[in-house]
Amino acid sequence: MASPQAQLERRSGSTLLAAEVTLSVVCSLAVTIIWAVTGGPFWPMWVWTGLGLPIALQVVWRRAWAEPRGPRRRLAIQGSTSVVLTGYLVLVWAMGGFGLFWPVFPAVGLAMAFVLHAVFYSPRQTDLSARVDELTRTRRGALDVQSAELRRIERDLHDGAQARLVALTMQLGRAEARLDDRPETAELIRQAREEATAAVAELRDLARGIAPPVLADRGLVAAVEALAQRSGIDTTVESKLTQRLAPVVESAAYFVTAEALTNAVKHAPGASARIAIRRSGPRLVVEIADDGPGGADPRGSGLSGLRQRVEALDGTLDVDSPEGIGTTITAVLPCES
Amino acid sequence: MRVVIAEDSVLLREGLVALLQEYDIEVVAQTEDGEGLLRIVAGHKPDLAIVDVRLPPTFTDEGIRAALEARRRFPDLSVLVLSQYVEPIYTGELLASGESGVGYLLKERVGEVRTFLDAVHRVAGGGTALDREVIASLVRAQTSTGDDPLAELTPRERETLSLIAQGRTNAAIARELVITLGAVEKHVTNIFGKLNLPATDDDHRRVLAVLTYLGAGGLEASES
Repeated sequence: MASPQAQLERRSGSTLLAAEVTLSVVCSLAVTIIWAVTGGPFWPMWVWTGLGLPIALQVVWRRAWAEPRGPRRRLAIQGSTSVVLTGYLVLVWAMGGFGLFWPVFPAVGLAMAFVLHAVFYSPRQTDLSARVDELTRTRRGALDVQSAELRRIERDLHDGAQARLVALTMQLGRAEARLDDRPETAELIRQAREEATAAVAELRDLARGIAPPVLADRGLVAAVEALAQRSGIDTTVESKLTQRLAPVVESAAYFVTAEALTNAVKHAPGASARIAIRRSGPRLVVEIADDGPGGADPRGSGLSGLRQRVEALDGTLDVDSPEGIGTTITAVLPCES
Repeated sequence: MRVVIAEDSVLLREGLVALLQEYDIEVVAQTEDGEGLLRIVAGHKPDLAIVDVRLPPTFTDEGIRAALEARRRFPDLSVLVLSQYVEPIYTGELLASGESGVGYLLKERVGEVRTFLDAVHRVAGGGTALDREVIASLVRAQTSTGDDPLAELTPRERETLSLIAQGRTNAAIARELVITLGAVEKHVTNIFGKLNLPATDDDHRRVLAVLTYLGAGGLEASES
């Protein structure tokens, strides 16, 4: 869909062109009348072609402009200009009394220029790469939106349902405390409070799965350090990363680390793990290495889920897991900061 | 006891105020953001500040940052943090931030009225109150790690230490574990011994034991 601005511009362009055509017709009529009155050779045709050339150019350019922006449009402009110019030269040749067909020389030159242009900017290929660029951009946009939405949902849960349930547990607690003299009722209320507490806990787990609060609060390194502390195996975290990254990149890096650590704990309970997070130019590199038994299957469901997550961001995930030596998982994620 | 509250949810703030007043705890001021906390602490010099972790304007860890800043300016201030999620990093930062009382409880614990009031009094009196979920997540982390001092503790000693970390007195621990006071004291002495805590006064060693218990984790992370 053209924007209103573009439509407006096109409309005012049409008005200008119409004005120009009208003016040219008026001029042509005028010179033709002058010729009819004064007589002599039919010179007004030179005025006609002179006035017609810019109009013809504008008409074909407007059509060429309708092509999608990029190499196709450039080729269309060059091609249509060449055709109009050649036509004009042929007309001039005809009006000049024929003779040697000289317009063939500029026509061949224009055709060669067009062919060269077409060969060097193959519209197919450049169109495809433009399309890839566009798809990459829009996919990334969609992921950014999704990530922001998830965080919003987490926040809404926190401020909405969770807060109400917490308020409910408070009130039930107060009621329970006033019922010392009626232990059976107090017991009922206690059970109700525990149900509400369990609901709060479930919502909390849900929210943590969506977006761990510490990730949003403190960023990737702090969240990974918290993971390392909770991992249950001896884990060191090395990182000099201080700046915050796009939420979608932070989330992906976080969940890769979480899954890799979970795998390490499951398959290498006595091992130790090392997590390294660093920027390398426009990329974020996350490396999780353990000295467990190795032999991890890169096509296992956990690892392939991670790979999908990383590849959705145009990143790569490598699993190096030689038997008896340990497992190293490396995720490389593009991140323009 | 004079208390200030920083909580942005009106529902929870009013619930808290009503509950505390019911039990003769005076709520001298309330606020809904971090800036406000610093202002009312300076203005009212309360015994205890009850602070929500997520406060405006950032809705991230504003409450923790404000609480740490308040403790830096007023080292005597005791702080009880209420949160909807467990985050050992924040617990570590709070514990490392000063000498006076510290607590970190999940908000739904307020519903366990007696335990909550206990925690309020304990923290206001300079003690500690950590949520059992915080403790549980740390225990999970510590028990499976090979080379930490806590590995030498017996399960009973670990339970005892977990209760110390929650801020319980020996008598309360004895009740909870259904053992004699003497047995608790023996566990505590063993814990101090195994953790190599120097024989200074007991209260200080209890704090050190808790810090060991919370592990490198919370504290190291707070400095990075």
